[in-house]
Amino acid sequence: MHWFYNWFDGIKSDFILNFITENRYMYIVRGFGVTIKVSLLSVLIGILIGVFIALAALSKNKILKTVSRWYTDIIRGTPAVTQLLIVYFVIFGSSRLDKWIIASIAFGINSGAYVSEIIRAGIQSVDHGQVEAGRSLGLSGAQTMIKIVIPQAVKNIFPALVNEFIVLIKETAIVGFIGLEDLAKGGDFIRSRTYSAFMPLVGTALIYFLLIKVLTKVFTLLEKRLRKSEIR
Amino acid sequence: MIKVKNLHKSFGKLEVLSGIDEHIKQGEVVVVIGPSGSGKSTFLRCLNLLETPTDGEIYIDDELINAPKVNVNRIRQKMGMVFQQFNLFPHLTIMNNITLAPMQIKKMSKQDAVALGTKLLDRVGLLDKADAYPAQLSGGQKQRVAIARALAMEPEIMLFDEPTSALDPEMVGEVLDVMKSLARDGMTMVVVTHEMGFAREVGSRVLFMDQGQILEQADPVQLFTNPQHERTQAFLSKVL
Repeated sequence: MHWFYNWFDGIKSDFILNFITENRYMYIVRGFGVTIKVSLLSVLIGILIGVFIALAALSKNKILKTVSRWYTDIIRGTPAVTQLLIVYFVIFGSSRLDKWIIASIAFGINSGAYVSEIIRAGIQSVDHGQVEAGRSLGLSGAQTMIKIVIPQAVKNIFPALVNEFIVLIKETAIVGFIGLEDLAKGGDFIRSRTYSAFMPLVGTALIYFLLIKVLTKVFTLLEKRLRKSEIR
Repeated sequence: MIKVKNLHKSFGKLEVLSGIDEHIKQGEVVVVIGPSGSGKSTFLRCLNLLETPTDGEIYIDDELINAPKVNVNRIRQKMGMVFQQFNLFPHLTIMNNITLAPMQIKKMSKQDAVALGTKLLDRVGLLDKADAYPAQLSGGQKQRVAIARALAMEPEIMLFDEPTSALDPEMVGEVLDVMKSLARDGMTMVVVTHEMGFAREVGSRVLFMDQGQILEQADPVQLFTNPQHERTQAFLSKVL
């Protein structure tokens, strides 16, 4: 058993060095806060843009259609890091907005393109008879969309949306490029101070993993509730 | 009540309706029969503008409804429609399927809407299904709910687009019974159907359509026993 105690002691001192000494765990805590803040605001902005771009894509207006197609094409055709840098240094180059807000806008713009494609497919997946039934009752196009089509579309696209959010949360790990100290950056900063890579990096990975695990669990429960009407 | 003048409808180059003139009076039950592809459903769907006529005029209560500035939603509130595929809203309970339109459009209170829904569900014999979801109902039950949903807007006219064609044979009767009771109460109805028995029993008039035109029309007894047009004769000899 001697080797075990040695190994355990090693882990323990490694842990103390990386997280306890000089209160280094605070890099992780603060970084986690930033990651959560950026993720939440990005998801919100992403949904708003996504809904708007999806409706534009489905509208009869040619200009809106074209704008939405170009938007998704450009966003999907360029790397997220480059988009982040462009938003930070070019668009908001002279702005005094908080870094985390600018980062959220960049991720929101990025996510919006993917969300819009998910929403568009979701709306189109609802049987056209549903629209006809709504309109035949005298509901307006907007009322039919809000009360009949979107609730059904949301249910259909829920898993895809959850997937997109998870991708987005992990994508925010690139905010270090504009000097924002998020969870990933926090872990890496500790590594640069202690010169030990294993503990801070694997620790960071574990926190991301747990965060997403918990979120997935919550979303799965939500999805079950959404599917209530399908029980026979 | 419904006046149709020289109604034309084309999908691209295909002309589906080629000149329909028809006058449907209040309280009439007009049954439209004919081979598939004859334009029956398109004719019906033009009446509440689910299809936009290519040419011609449709008047409901003497109002031209296919004019550019008409409020289509207001016109449609006068007409209930029942679809072949039911088209119930699967995400809503049966009660909410019925109360949605009155609450959204007429701004009826939840309480009043539920009272109305209860009355209508009782009428179609499905009061016990109020809290169920459409997926839990049989085809016949779904169609009865669809009728109740259309009635919730208190329409002057009911349009039926092959309401029993998607049903198992043993469920056809229950839906036809509801339709018959509506007809007895004096509802103006336009029914596209293959149920010749229904046409004979409750139809005030039967229209035979073929190739986008009304070839022949008469009261049911006369049309079924003594059809004038040879295409009507050919059609009836196949379905009767």
